[in-house]
Amino acid sequence: MRKVPAWFIILSGLGGLVGIISIIYRLIVGMKVTNLTSSVPWGEWVAFYIYFIGLSAGSFLFSTLIYVFGQKNIEKAGRMALVSAVIALIAGLLFVWIDLGHPWRFLNVFIHWHYTSVLAWEILFYVFYIIVIFAEAWYLMRCDLAYLRDTSSGFRKTLYGILSLGWKCPTTEERFKACHIQSLKVATVLGIIGIPLAIGVHGGTGAIFAVVKARPYWYSPIFPIIFLVSALVSGAALMTFLYAVLGDKKSPDYMNILRNLGGWMVLFISLDLLLMVAELLVGLYGNIPDHVYVLKTIMFGPYWYVFWIGQMGMAVIVPIVIYIFKRDSAFWLALAGLSAVVGIVGVRFNLVIPAFVAPPIPGLEDVYNQFRLLFEYFPSLTEWISSIGIISLVVFIFSLAYNFLPMFELPVEVIIKKGGES
Amino acid sequence: MKVMNPKRRDILKKFIGFMVAGALLPDVFKPKKLSAQNIKVDISKLSKVYKEEDPIVRMMRDLQRALKKPVEQRRWVMVIDTRKCVGCNACTISCIAENRLPPGVVYRPVVEHEIGEYPNVRKRFFPRPCMHCDNPPCTPVCPVNATYKRPDGVVVIDYDRCIGCRYCLTACPYNARTFDFGEFYTDGVGIHGLMPYESIYTEEYGVKRDRTKKKSPVGNARKCHFCLHRIERGLLPMCVITCIGRATYFGDANDPNSLVSQLIGQPNVIRLKEELGTEPKVYYII
Repeated sequence: MRKVPAWFIILSGLGGLVGIISIIYRLIVGMKVTNLTSSVPWGEWVAFYIYFIGLSAGSFLFSTLIYVFGQKNIEKAGRMALVSAVIALIAGLLFVWIDLGHPWRFLNVFIHWHYTSVLAWEILFYVFYIIVIFAEAWYLMRCDLAYLRDTSSGFRKTLYGILSLGWKCPTTEERFKACHIQSLKVATVLGIIGIPLAIGVHGGTGAIFAVVKARPYWYSPIFPIIFLVSALVSGAALMTFLYAVLGDKKSPDYMNILRNLGGWMVLFISLDLLLMVAELLVGLYGNIPDHVYVLKTIMFGPYWYVFWIGQMGMAVIVPIVIYIFKRDSAFWLALAGLSAVVGIVGVRFNLVIPAFVAPPIPGLEDVYNQFRLLFEYFPSLTEWISSIGIISLVVFIFSLAYNFLPMFELPVEVIIKKGGES
Repeated sequence: MKVMNPKRRDILKKFIGFMVAGALLPDVFKPKKLSAQNIKVDISKLSKVYKEEDPIVRMMRDLQRALKKPVEQRRWVMVIDTRKCVGCNACTISCIAENRLPPGVVYRPVVEHEIGEYPNVRKRFFPRPCMHCDNPPCTPVCPVNATYKRPDGVVVIDYDRCIGCRYCLTACPYNARTFDFGEFYTDGVGIHGLMPYESIYTEEYGVKRDRTKKKSPVGNARKCHFCLHRIERGLLPMCVITCIGRATYFGDANDPNSLVSQLIGQPNVIRLKEELGTEPKVYYII
C-alpha cells in the first residue's frame, strides 16, 4: 500500500498549526476579525461549512453505492469514502463553530433546542450521522484493526487497541468469512440508515437557505436538491482524486476502478449542470428584481470568475473534457477529480454570499456608509488564513488516517494466518 | 409593571407644556412690543389658539391606559406618516443614543428615495424600524429560541441565550437586524482608549450590560425592540419622542380609542412586503 509522503504530512501539519493559531486568535478577538457585515452576515466560513458538509455527505452517499447498492467495481474506494466523510464533517462543524458570535454557547443548541429551526434539526442530523458513519467504518475495519493491533507494537499497538475497541477476529477461515459477511451486512444496514441521514444532512443544510423567503435566490425548492447533487459531485470527485493518487497502481483493476469512479463523477456533474441551468434560466426569466440582480452579480459582477472559472470551468467543463479525452490516464483523471473538488468551492461561495448583495429594502444600500452595514463583502486576511489553515488541518488528519488506518482491505490469508499463530 | 412616578410625570407635563407654549408664543400675543415684562403665558388663551393637544401628550395618555391592562391584551404598533417625514434622521440618532449602539448597529435607518433628475429632484423618506411582525420570519429559524414574540407582539432577543449564528439576520425580509461585532467608535483612534460615552451601560430590555468586556450584546444579533425599557416605565419610544415632524406614532392597537388605532383605520395605510405574509406591526401612512 502506498503511503502519504512524510514531507506532505509535515507541510500540511504546519498549515494545520496556522489554522489552530488563527482559530485561537479569532476566539480571543471576536467576530471583528472578519469582513462580514450586518447586511452580508454569512461569508467565507459558512461557504466552507456547507462545502465540507457537502463533501462529507457526498463521500458517504458514494460509499453507499458500494455497500448498499452493490457497485462491486468501485469497492476499493469504500473505506476511503467513509473516512473522508467523518473528517469532512468535523471540518464543516469546525467552520460553523468559529462563525458563531458566541462559540462557547454552542451547547445551547441542545439545551434550548428549537424544533422550528432547520439549523437546530441539522445539528441533530450531524450528530446521528457522525455516529452512523463511525459505526459503519468501524464494522468494516474491525478485523483489520484487530490484526494490526496484534501484529504491531508500541504506539501503534495502543492506537489500534483503542480503535479496534477490543474486537477479536475469529481465527478459522470459515468463521472469519462469516464474520466478514456479517460486517458487510451491518455496513449495508448502517448504509441504509445513513442514506436518509445523509440526505437530511446535506439536503437539510440546503434547506437552511431554501426556507428563507426573504431572499428570492435561496427561496426555491430546487435549492436543497442542488446542494445534494453538488455534494455527490464533490464526493465522487474526491474519491476519483484520492483513488488515482493513493490507490494501488499495481493492482490489475486499478484503471478500471478509476474509470468507473470518473464515470460516476461525470454523471453527477451533468445532473448538477442541468439543475444549475434550470435555476439560472428560470430565475432570469422570472425577472424579479432581487433575484435577477443576484444572478447577474454572480455571472457578471466583480467576482464573475468564481462562477465562470470555478463553478463552470473547474467543476464542469474541465472534468467532463478530461473524461471524454483522457479517461485512460490516471494522472489526468486525478486532475479532473481535483479540479472538480476545488471548483465546488466556487459553487459553495456562490450559493451563500451573492444572496446578500441585493438589499431587501431598495434604497438601504444608500443609507449606510458604515463598513459593517455595507452590502459588499470580501473575506478578510484572517478569514483566508484560518480557512486555509483549517483545510490544511483536515488534509493533515486525513493523511495520518490514511497512513495508519487499513484503508484497503487486507487479504484474507494474511489476517487468518496471523490469527492462527497468535 | 413600573409606571412613571408622579413627580416625573408632572415634570414631563410641564416640560411639554412649555414646549407647546414656546412654539405658539408669537401667535398668541401678536405683540406690538415684545419685551421681557409683558410675556406671561396664559394657558386659557393658549388653548383657544391651539385646539388640539400635541399628539405626544395624547399618545402618552394612550400608553398609560394600555399599561394598566395585562401584557397579553396590549398590541403595540407603530405608525409612520411618510408625508410628514423630512428625513432629518433625528430618530436614527436618538435611537443610537438611547440604546448606546456601537458602530455598525442601527435599529432605525431612514431610507431615502430620490425621484426625478436634476434639477427636478424630489425626495421621499421612510424610516425602517423592526416591523415586529405578527408572523416573524426571524424567530422560527433561531436554533436556540433566543428570539421570540412577546405576548404584546414585540419581537425580542434574549442576549444571554443567543449564540450569534446570524440566521435571523438572513431571514429578515426588512434587514431589520444587525450584528454586534464588538467594535467601538474610537477603536484605534488616539491614545486615550474608549471615550466615556462608549462605556455607558446599555439598558435594553431593562438589563444593564457593559459592552466593553466583550460580553453580550457583543456577538449577538440586535434589533429595535420598540424601546421596551421605556414603554414599561410609561415613556414613548425614543424615536417617537424625538420626531420633529411628529411623523411617528406609537400605541396600543387593541385600544380603539388610541391614536394609532384611529390612524391605521385610514385608507391610505400600507405595510411593507405584505406579500410575504409577515403581518408587520409598523404601518406607513402614504
